[in-house]
Amino acid sequence: MAERATTGPAIRCTALAKRFGAGAGAVDAVAPLDLTFKAGAMTALVGPSGCGKSTVLRMVAGLEAPTAGEIDMGGESPAQMQAQGAMAMAFQDASLLPWRSVRGNVALARKLARQPADTDAVDAMIARVGLAGFEAAKPAALSGGMRQRVAIARCLVTQPRVLLLDEPFGAVDELTRRRLNVELPPLWQAAGSTTLLVTHSVSEAVTLADRVVVFSSRPAQVVADIAIPPDATPGSDSFDALVTRVSAELARGWDEAGADAKAAAQ
Amino acid sequence: MTLAAPPSTLVAPRALLRPDRAQALAGAVGALALWQLAALALAGSYLLAGPVDVVRYLSANWGLISRALGITLENAVLGFVAGNLAAVALALIVALAPRARMVVSAVALVVFCLPLVATGPILRVLYGPGPGPQITLAALAVYYTTFIPLLVGLRAAPASWFDLVALYGRGAWTAFVQIRLMAALPYLLAGLQIAAPAAFLGAMVGEFTGAERGMGVLALRAMRALDVEATWAIASVAAAVAMVAYGLVGWLSRATALARPELLVALPPVPGAGGAGRRWLGNAGMVAITLLVLIGGWWLAMEAFGLNRFFAKRPDDLWAFLVSAPNAAENRALLRDASAQSLVYLVPGYLAGLGLGAALAMVLVLAPGLAGAVLPVAVALRSVPIVTTAPLIVLALGRGAAGTITIVAVMIFFPALVACLQGLRQTPGQVMDVMATYGAGPFTRLWQARIPAMLPAFFAAARMSVPAAVLAITVAEWLATGTGLGNLMALTASTSNYNLLWSAVVLVALGSALGYAAVGALERAVLARVAPEQLRD
Repeated sequence: MAERATTGPAIRCTALAKRFGAGAGAVDAVAPLDLTFKAGAMTALVGPSGCGKSTVLRMVAGLEAPTAGEIDMGGESPAQMQAQGAMAMAFQDASLLPWRSVRGNVALARKLARQPADTDAVDAMIARVGLAGFEAAKPAALSGGMRQRVAIARCLVTQPRVLLLDEPFGAVDELTRRRLNVELPPLWQAAGSTTLLVTHSVSEAVTLADRVVVFSSRPAQVVADIAIPPDATPGSDSFDALVTRVSAELARGWDEAGADAKAAAQ
Repeated sequence: MTLAAPPSTLVAPRALLRPDRAQALAGAVGALALWQLAALALAGSYLLAGPVDVVRYLSANWGLISRALGITLENAVLGFVAGNLAAVALALIVALAPRARMVVSAVALVVFCLPLVATGPILRVLYGPGPGPQITLAALAVYYTTFIPLLVGLRAAPASWFDLVALYGRGAWTAFVQIRLMAALPYLLAGLQIAAPAAFLGAMVGEFTGAERGMGVLALRAMRALDVEATWAIASVAAAVAMVAYGLVGWLSRATALARPELLVALPPVPGAGGAGRRWLGNAGMVAITLLVLIGGWWLAMEAFGLNRFFAKRPDDLWAFLVSAPNAAENRALLRDASAQSLVYLVPGYLAGLGLGAALAMVLVLAPGLAGAVLPVAVALRSVPIVTTAPLIVLALGRGAAGTITIVAVMIFFPALVACLQGLRQTPGQVMDVMATYGAGPFTRLWQARIPAMLPAFFAAARMSVPAAVLAITVAEWLATGTGLGNLMALTASTSNYNLLWSAVVLVALGSALGYAAVGALERAVLARVAPEQLRD
């Protein structure tokens, strides 16, 4: 992993929990969680579908209010971080505004983050994600992979201290995904943001992250917390061993949750 | 090895229904030929003038027609602008103060349901001579058909766009400016497209109420003189203007290349959390507030302008007339009998128009070649104002049940057909591909995939058809049959029985609004099962 300047804060979640609905129909999405994400590092969150990992991300983003517990980012709350324009998020679909050009979509983030308009910075970021020449194109004219590149450029153009990636490559094909996994990480590593990545791909998590947190089935609980050493590069033995280990932990979390559900049913 | 065609080429549902120019031209020529043949078959019966007669009449009287057209167009344009500005203002209020949505929507609906037949004469008395009633009626005819799509469009954006705004700590105003307004633009243009011909209809009805010049005046004269050629010629010109207006706004909307993010047609759900009991209480409260606003607004408007009580009745006048006066029971009986006469034609006409529209849409899907020819003709006929078709239908089918029910059904039929065809187009290509891979027959595809996809558009049409059907029945009764609420309103306007006139207006407006609400409730119940995404807040 490349060395990065740590400008992002550590993120500390204390007894963080989320329940949707009330009464008999209530669903516990996240069980009380205590987790700290290291400043300037990238942590991947993996777990079964619907386990609540995206909910954790949305609570960190301040888009979802926790039912209990709190989130601290270097002494700031998510709302304070929002107000400073200090966070950025990429969603599973690129979520580009169809009436804005590539440049317009990227520039919008600076505007929303109350940063001065800077066409040069916007165009430079578009070029860095490999889309030079497409500045004036509308999203409808781009492929899925290109749209995700725009979304990443939109995230990075504000130089966020916290970067939240919610399966950003989930909707693109495998080859494009691999390419994006090679081309884009140097950009966010250089930014030095504290980054949380939600992904379904174990190999993506091991490739990109400094640490992988494995969640159980809903409500999300941590079943494993695995550090990824810098030498675990794709193709190496340690990489393969880590992928196998993360996969095994994922299966264990899934099994335990199934056993718990059976026990509860009896 | 033979490569199979990709599934999407096995069935291309969108392409099937998108008519090309040749098919559209064939449809138009076919319709004209049928019209001419019918005119030849009925020659001498004084019912139908064919396209050749119409052209002959127009060339002989073009000076007269063009002057009248200029006046009506001017009023229609002024009404179009005023009505649409009002619609935008109302939608902005609702978007910025969501809690006001139900009350604003309900008041807007009731005002839209005010019967043109009665509001025309009342406005004439209020305004005196001049273009006031024509412009006001044109504005009243358009504001609701723009307000509703705008209301839908202002929430037609995926949740992640709003997340993006929230992530940077920006509030509802930024979301409104950056997302809602732009997302609503295509919906605004769709509304304006429907509004363009409606404004012309409103202006013509305004001219019926005692204007001196304009297409409405010419139409009324031709009908009274039983001048078949003039009636058909004026109706043809009005229809052509309506179609051109519809086409122009459609072209503008395509030229600006504003793609809809997704197709929503259902009204937003009633805001407010909590259980069913609390929601019910909340709704009852909203209904009470709506009634208060309506009654208060009515009374205030009358008082503020110091309008004479002889013709500008207040709510307490109607209370006396219908409840506390000695002859209140007789007055109520008059209204009850007239309502019953109207309903006898209204309900079958409404159901027939809606049912036939949906049925033909399904037939056209099963025979896609035909759709290419029929759809452009249907889109064109949808924009023809009822005031021009009603006299023609009466000429052709008489003043009895057949003619009246047909007028109502025709008013509903074309919008329902176009909406259902557009709804059928919404069937996702992948779903049709799944059907194709299992070799599903056309009826299975229709039943399993297309009809569920059509339902949101069908219900939107069914909802908007309620006030349209009431407009049709009252116009038909006024111009032709001499029965029912339409006739009662026309009669009371000319005999200055303003208590009865205002009572009929209130009855028709509230009845239409209730009918609309009832269809809306049915719509929500059905869509909750088949298309819950339409009900997303």
